[in-house]
Amino acid sequence: MKRRDFAKLAGGTGLAVMTGPWPVKAANAWSLTASSGKPIYFRGWQYKTDVVQSFVDRYNKTMSGHVDYATITGDYPSIMEQKLIAGSELDVLYGNPSQAARYFDGGWVAPADELPNYAEIKAEFLPNLWDAWTYKGHLLGLSYFATTRGAIHVNLKAYQGAGMSDKDFPKTWDDLYDQIFALNAKGVKTPFLPHWFSEWYGISWAFVFEVLNRGGHIADDKTHKPLLTTNKNDLAYKTLAAWKKLWNSKMVPAEVLTYNEAAFIYAYGSGRYVFSPQQLYDLATFNTKGKSQIAGYDGLLPVQGQSWGLLDSALYLITKRKRPQPVTDDVMRFTSWYGFKDNSGQIAVASRWMQLSMLFSAYKSVMESPDAEARIKQSVARPSDARVVLDLYKATPFPSAIWKVAWSEEYNSWLKESLANFLLQNGDIESFIKSSNDKITALNEKYGI
Amino acid sequence: MASERILPLQSAEEAVATGRRRRALSDTEFALAFGVPVLVFLVLVVAYPLGYAVWMSLHRIMFFGGYRSTFVGLRNFERVLVDAGFWWSSWVTVRLTAEAVVLTMLIGLGLALMLNRTRAARGLTRTLVFLPWCVSTYGAGLMFAYLARGQTGLGTSIAYALGYSQPVDLMTSGLVIEVLAVGAAWTMAPLVAFFLLANLQTIPKRLYDLAALDQLSPLETFWHVTLPPLRYTLFVFASIVTVLTMKLFDFVFVMTGGGPGTASATLTYQIYKISFENLDLGYGAAMSFYLLFLIIASTLLLYLVWGRREVLR
Repeated sequence: MKRRDFAKLAGGTGLAVMTGPWPVKAANAWSLTASSGKPIYFRGWQYKTDVVQSFVDRYNKTMSGHVDYATITGDYPSIMEQKLIAGSELDVLYGNPSQAARYFDGGWVAPADELPNYAEIKAEFLPNLWDAWTYKGHLLGLSYFATTRGAIHVNLKAYQGAGMSDKDFPKTWDDLYDQIFALNAKGVKTPFLPHWFSEWYGISWAFVFEVLNRGGHIADDKTHKPLLTTNKNDLAYKTLAAWKKLWNSKMVPAEVLTYNEAAFIYAYGSGRYVFSPQQLYDLATFNTKGKSQIAGYDGLLPVQGQSWGLLDSALYLITKRKRPQPVTDDVMRFTSWYGFKDNSGQIAVASRWMQLSMLFSAYKSVMESPDAEARIKQSVARPSDARVVLDLYKATPFPSAIWKVAWSEEYNSWLKESLANFLLQNGDIESFIKSSNDKITALNEKYGI
Repeated sequence: MASERILPLQSAEEAVATGRRRRALSDTEFALAFGVPVLVFLVLVVAYPLGYAVWMSLHRIMFFGGYRSTFVGLRNFERVLVDAGFWWSSWVTVRLTAEAVVLTMLIGLGLALMLNRTRAARGLTRTLVFLPWCVSTYGAGLMFAYLARGQTGLGTSIAYALGYSQPVDLMTSGLVIEVLAVGAAWTMAPLVAFFLLANLQTIPKRLYDLAALDQLSPLETFWHVTLPPLRYTLFVFASIVTVLTMKLFDFVFVMTGGGPGTASATLTYQIYKISFENLDLGYGAAMSFYLLFLIIASTLLLYLVWGRREVLR
């Protein structure tokens, strides 16, 4: 080696040592192989459980793991909360950000900051998801998926059949309602299937995202104090007025209030409706032959000034139950392997979900990969819609004021029931808004906020 | 060892002869030997949870920031009485129970009469009739939700077959209780049917011969010959079905989730929501005692207006 080369190498090495991210170096040295020999309990809701099991099997086989995976049926948030309170055998679990914030305040989950490779994880995060998933300065968990719930899907066949084209696409919620009534007047019986189904992420989230999309706020982001007013120009007031008009028009089947998610997806996939707020990733389902009646004809309303839907996401959370340190170390290893990079340094699980179900990830290298682009292109009815998907996702808001707070789930439960009753009983808008504010005030008092 | 084994078979004299006489247990000792384990078991599985529920109902329990409880006396019980949701759920529970009991008893009686007459493929028929009782209420809830909805339901299929073009949705706020009652009756009626069938088979055939001689109509025969021996069983099962329906939770949870809105929010659903979604365990426990009072009051009323007469008969 020449002296000059040696000097370059030594200088470069010295610089790397001085400026290099230490935790990343520590993480590189961190082995993901399980060592305690004890089981790790991993629980989640039911979604493609065979796929999850295959990932877990791979970890157990290649990393000497003893991960025990099972699903939870029924009321997932409540069941998990009871397990966490009881300190049951539960180490890693799925959770939405709102649940995660509550669990964090309850002292039942550990933040992902405690992972040895935290700095590397942070460097991979997309900024919008970093904001959504950090709470009180801590990262709540690792990325399972992210998407837009409430993206407005358009049955292009029915839309074009009614003499409409892309140029006519509504730009705002008010435009959308105007067009729904116009289509109905033209003879389209059921132009709209609203997001009013009976799951805990159904009608209540529909209200939240519509208010957000219109530019309104249900509560203050920092103080969590209620912000709705009974002024007719209040954006929540406008939302409720639009809902009432729609319900009373009888254009919407009343049974949507009793649908579970499968029935809701099935209804839109049947081709009976023109517009419906659905999960963004279900574009792949609706455009697949054999899975829907509108395969090849499902498009999206683009962002033209106003966003559509809200950021729906889930994380892998680590519990704080009492367990020996070697087991906790294994929990960290498994969570990192599963929720971030595997032993080959690939973000394998998140990439696989992207390919399988078009579940977006919080990690840049997954979202910016050519594979992701190809997958999105594969899911859309028209090549130009791929851009619409990404623009829509990028503009999706997150309801921090009511999701980054301990009472989130309780308010959501109240909202779900009260909104359905508001429609069924032809409720008064002002009373509803007042009740919502009272509920938030009472919850703030309950939790000392 | 061998002599010990045959000892119970020895006569008293032999036992004296071998010098190994055992003192016989007194009635009290015998009763205690059998009764105490049962009492201990009951204390463990009934009294302790009940006592704990009483304790909870008198406290405000918080899990956030560490577990803590504050004694609040009867405040939780007072709160329940001014809660509009509680009164609505009580009404829903009473309505569902009344409908489910009537339907269950009628279907159970009908099935029992049919099974009593069936001669061909008797074993198969009985197995098929009994199957709904074996289905979990969770599974039954999923199935009935599917059958009752407009887009996938039975009503729509029939309407389309008859030439109507409108779907028939039975999960409306006006009908959902009736659909729940039908589903509950579907799961419970087979049990009622089999107990009534056992009763039916004890009725002497000569009574029917005499009724035929007296030229009684089928309805008169049913009323004067078949029904009297069934009355007590009917009363017992009306009480059991009342209790089971008032306690029904998983079927309601899966099928309607208390909806649409709160149209089918029974007391059990309301208690679940308060206790496990809102984590207000003290208030939920207080409400559960009102449910207990409602169950006791309903069965007592049933006894006073019906059961007492059957016992005296």
